[in-house]
Amino acid sequence: MKRSLLGIRGLELAEIEDLLGLAAHYKARILAGEEIQRVPRRAIGLLFFEGSTRTRVSFEQAAAYLGYRSTNFAGPGSSMAKGETLKDTILTLKYERLDAIVMRHNASGATQLAATFFGGPVINAGDGEHEHPTQALADAMTIIERKGSIQGLKIAIVGDVMHSRVARSNAWLLTKLGAELNLVGPRTLMPPVMSHLPGAIQYDLLAGIEGCDVVMCLRLQRERMDSGLLSSIGEYRRLYQVNQRALRVAKRDAMVMHPGPINRGIELDDLTADGVASAIHQQVENGIFVRMAALHWAFDGSGTDTPTLRLADGKKAAKKAAKAEKAEKSERATTGGKA
Amino acid sequence: MKTLLKNGRILDPSQDLDIIGSVIMEDDQLVAVGPDVTADDADEVYDCTGLWICPGFVDPHVHLREPGEEHKETIITGTQAAAAGGFTTICCMPNTLPPLDKPELVDHIMDRSAAPEAGGVFVAPVGALTLGLQSERLSDLSALKKAGIVAASDEGSPIQDSVLMTRAMEFCVQLDLPIMTHCEDLSLTRGGSMNEGGTSAMLGLKGMPRSSEEIMVMRNCLLSLHTGCSLHILRVSTWGAVEMIRQAKFLGAPVTCETCPQYFVFTDEAVGEFNPLFKTTPPLRTAVDIEILLQALADGTVDCIASDHSPHALYEVQVPFEQAPFGSAGLESVVGVTLTYLTHAGILSPLETVRKLSTSPANILRLDAGTLRLGETPVAQVTVVDPDLHWTFDVAKTYSKGKNSMFQGMELKGKAMLTFCGAEIYRDRHFDAERYTTQD
Repeated sequence: MKRSLLGIRGLELAEIEDLLGLAAHYKARILAGEEIQRVPRRAIGLLFFEGSTRTRVSFEQAAAYLGYRSTNFAGPGSSMAKGETLKDTILTLKYERLDAIVMRHNASGATQLAATFFGGPVINAGDGEHEHPTQALADAMTIIERKGSIQGLKIAIVGDVMHSRVARSNAWLLTKLGAELNLVGPRTLMPPVMSHLPGAIQYDLLAGIEGCDVVMCLRLQRERMDSGLLSSIGEYRRLYQVNQRALRVAKRDAMVMHPGPINRGIELDDLTADGVASAIHQQVENGIFVRMAALHWAFDGSGTDTPTLRLADGKKAAKKAAKAEKAEKSERATTGGKA
Repeated sequence: MKTLLKNGRILDPSQDLDIIGSVIMEDDQLVAVGPDVTADDADEVYDCTGLWICPGFVDPHVHLREPGEEHKETIITGTQAAAAGGFTTICCMPNTLPPLDKPELVDHIMDRSAAPEAGGVFVAPVGALTLGLQSERLSDLSALKKAGIVAASDEGSPIQDSVLMTRAMEFCVQLDLPIMTHCEDLSLTRGGSMNEGGTSAMLGLKGMPRSSEEIMVMRNCLLSLHTGCSLHILRVSTWGAVEMIRQAKFLGAPVTCETCPQYFVFTDEAVGEFNPLFKTTPPLRTAVDIEILLQALADGTVDCIASDHSPHALYEVQVPFEQAPFGSAGLESVVGVTLTYLTHAGILSPLETVRKLSTSPANILRLDAGTLRLGETPVAQVTVVDPDLHWTFDVAKTYSKGKNSMFQGMELKGKAMLTFCGAEIYRDRHFDAERYTTQD
């Protein structure tokens, strides 16, 4: 069976568990230096109609680990720039015999449209302001590694929720996995109260992150200032920056996340971004493993040496990885490494 | 030649007539309408038992796309679609390329719609209120009126400047020309592609708030009240707009309005997973709006039903939602959808249904249509409807070039069977052959 990963909203819990289990499995094998069976004939197209470095590199890494060949298809200079419709571009790639497409586009829903024409698996690497499912999976994996489980955690997503595909995917994913979710930000950047998005709306930062196990910041686009949604960077910083002082109301062991790229000194201060509570680099690294999982899952594991896993296996692997990381950290601490 | 429409339910809202009877046409004229009408010497007889005989339907809001966008629709295909939908008169909107701001363009529409291969319906052009629909300078409205426009409109690019709108209304009062206005505050909808609300927030699509429509409805109603200009508000979609129009009518403003099937059938949730067929302006709203629209249709605050027939080529629609054009083809589904969702649902009586589809739009635009009174229409305009026919709407079988319909696959009850505009211009394939007899 081949399937697309277009968003978290449409996923069953079992599918989410499969994906996270696979990611943990791959992480454990790669950290242990084990070989992943290669499938050299599988070719995937990376279609980034909108600029991206991190996500594209992460998918390239994931494909390379799996032994897939990946072809970059950049927006400017391509046939799209010559006026080809998205439909024709996708149909062309279909008959170029690509096995799967990883796609980012600035229009919400563009990957859904691509999937209807491509036929094979399409993996959404971010569509407009709609969803960014692999980022959310990386975030969930990171939380599970640090906290053991997401069930019953209190989590806040802080910032420009209205324009964030990361927020939407995480809202679905974290609530499906049993978290109690707050969406926190200024009224102009928040969905309406009657939104179909899960999560409680909070306009006050401290009320929103009080007692939270996880505080997830979103990137603030500078253009929000131009469209009058915010008065100034200074005001945002004063009211919504997640810093050491604000974190005092969260749980003592609260972790801090950010999908990147960070506007240092705006969403987060230096101390918080670089502190022990920060999981930012772990999110980036886990991005590779969830993307491996997504590429594997899209083909339902056919052609690789790994049977589809259940979360139980993944949890074991995650525990192992967490232990390894803890050991590494304590080692770093004792050798006087960066705290 | 004498034609007899026999034993139907005659529904003529212009005379509040709802009787069983017959209609006789001689050549292209209506010559008798009534309960005891017979004609033994008729050349052809249509047995209308169980069917409605109505004044030809009038669609006040159609986009024929010609000139300039003939890949979407032409006057030929659009008028054929109108005949098949049960219409004998349609008003075509001015947002063509170029917009209908010159008498020559109006002449072109008149010529093409009279072509033998056209659908045989009357086309009443609506002129561009401003030159090029640029909202800068008014068109030469007196010349346009002389050429035959029945109204002027800012459809496609609503006038934002209140001074310009006031001037436009003053000119139109002088010319006795109604204005048909699309009410949208563009600053509130910029970049938006669907109703602002829970669904747009979920899909990550920029919303078009209801306040955008309501602000302009209120402004335009007030300007109509103060200038005395007859104002017809195109496609009302929100409960707030309905309440403002109700208030404006109460205050005595010469305001009328229409809504379209999409607004009383679908909510914004119909967008589903980014289906661009459900992208309209104003956008599909919510269940509360539908409830109020249905009340307003029943109590007469909403005067008439329009299709807002907006054909597009499929390649224009098969694009990401935000990039898709607004609108849905509608000429061939509007009667079926109206009967299914309003008449059979008990919202409108049969007579009121026909009023919304014929008499009322004809009166608003002062057309010689919408009535079965003898001698009041240039030629006989009659639509025969089977109110109980169960059928499935299929765009593959429509005459329109626009296959972009949000009603595709819908099970409907009720359909136009015969359309007469001087002569028979459409006979539906569901019309039983045994109902038709001829002397030849």
